[in-house]
This record gives sequence, C-alpha cells and structure tokens, in this order.
Amino acid sequence: MQQGGGSETEVTWEDQQNINKFGRLNNRLHELHDEIKIAKESNDNLEDASNELILTDEEVVRFQIGEVFAHVPKDEVESRIEQMQEATSQKLEKLEEEKQSVVAQMSELKKILYGKFGESINLEED
Amino acid sequence: MASSSSSSSAVTERRGIPGAQFVEDVQTYLTQLGLDVNSALAFLQERLQQYKVVEMKLLAQQRELQAKIPDIEKCLDVVATLQAKKGTGEELIADFEVSEGIYSRASIEETDSVCLWLGANVMLEYSLEEATALLQKNLDNARASLEVLVADLLFLRDQTTITQVTIARVYNWDVHQRRTQQAAAATTIAQE
Repeated sequence: MQQGGGSETEVTWEDQQNINKFGRLNNRLHELHDEIKIAKESNDNLEDASNELILTDEEVVRFQIGEVFAHVPKDEVESRIEQMQEATSQKLEKLEEEKQSVVAQMSELKKILYGKFGESINLEED
Repeated sequence: MASSSSSSSAVTERRGIPGAQFVEDVQTYLTQLGLDVNSALAFLQERLQQYKVVEMKLLAQQRELQAKIPDIEKCLDVVATLQAKKGTGEELIADFEVSEGIYSRASIEETDSVCLWLGANVMLEYSLEEATALLQKNLDNARASLEVLVADLLFLRDQTTITQVTIARVYNWDVHQRRTQQAAAATTIAQE
C-alpha cells in the first residue's frame, strides 16, 4: 500500500484508523482463505471415510484416536464420523459467513479511502 | 522512547512493543523530533525493521501454539476413550506405530491410570480423572496464550501500518517543500 508523491491531502487520525482496519481485515481475509481450505479438505476426507465405511464388510474398523488406530465396531465409527462431519460443516459455515462480512467491510473502507485519497492510495493486492 | 502523543488516543506501548506515534502535522512532528527529513526517515525505517523482527518472532510462537492445541485435544480424546472403556470389562485393541511404517497390535486392559509426558524426559502416572483435568488445564492455557498472542500481532500490525503511512507522508511533505521552494526561487529570479 503506497501513497503517491507530492500530494497535500491531510491524513487524520480517523483516516489512519480506517487504513489500520483495512490492513487488519486484509490479513484476516488471507487467514480465512487458508482456514476454509483446510475445513473443506477435512470435510472431503470425512465424506470419503464415510463412503468407504458403507462399502466395507468388516465388522471392526481401525479408527484413529490420538496416535493409534483403535479397533472400534463399525456402528460406533459411523456415529463418530457423523459427529465430526456435523462439527466441520458448522465450522465451515461460520468461516464462510465471517469471510463475507470481512469482504463487505473491506469494500466499504475502499470506497471511503479511495473517496478521500483517490490516486494517492493503493489498496489492491500486489 | 516516550511519545507525547498529540491528540490521538494511541497506546504508547504494549508488552514491550513500542507504539507508533501518530503524526497530526508533518512540520510539527519534524520540529518536535528535532530532526531533518532524512534523519527522520532513517529513524522511521529502523522502527519498521524492528517491528518486522518482532512480527517474525510472534508468528513463530503462534505457529507453535497452533500445532500444540490439536495435540492436546487428541490426548484428551484418548483419555476419554479409555475412560469410556472402563467398566465394560472389554479391552481396547489398538494398532500402533512401532517405528516408521511398522505397526503392531496392542491390547490395552481396563485401567484406572495413564502416564503423561510432561517434557524434559519426565513422565508421571495420573488417574484418568486427574489426567483429564491436567490436559484440560493445559488446553485452556494454550488457548488463552494464543488469544493474547493474536492481540499482540494485531497491535503490532497497526503500529507497522501507522509507521508506513508516516514514512510516506514525511517523504511527500519533503517533495512538496522542495517544489514550493523551487517555485519561489524561480519567481524571485524572474522578478530580478
């Protein structure tokens, strides 16, 4: 984010706070991208596991608890996976919601900052 | 460096990180510092570097904590599983890694206690309830530390942004000053 040379637009404390907020939101957006990617992967893995479970004819499944694979009856594994899927979906939903809110706030701030500083400020991703 | 912040409600420092003074007016700021433009810019650049160093350190700590938390959660899961198995009379059969790529089967009988690795080559035996309590406490502490760390990073980033903007403004002010002076000089010459 740079400012052009020679301009005389004054920067008030409120402007500075807006710029700070934009910076923070931008950082949060990057973090959210990563977190959403991880949550989606986790969801996919659970989906695959669940499908595998339906296909298998074994009664006892090796389910990872901590660092070991415990022998757990198929039914219990099914309900465990369902629980995990529930939790991950909810988490994913919350993350997406937060992302939308962040993007909206950044849009607002862009309008305000470009409005006051015009060409003197650059708020785009390089 | 004690900053007599003008009218802004900026925090002067946070846990060892110096706060960046917000500049209301560049001319006043330079006079107050008693520095010429180049020295002021050098000072601000140095500040920026210091902030970068602290940021690297905090980010590393954050990554550590973010790895530690899922580990503790896994441990809690194991203890909970052992607790659930108690009273059923069944043993827990688990495949574990003996060495990389080599697994073996273990039969874990009903038990009232587990051993927890405390670090520094120390391992202690705890009852299942005590183990759960200890692990939960560690988890809560880790989460609290992470929260404080995140707040530190937010503060740090704000100070970095303020410093970057101040650098740009001081530089612009200088350019503007030179232009005005050149214009004034040109006018004076033209009048002679």
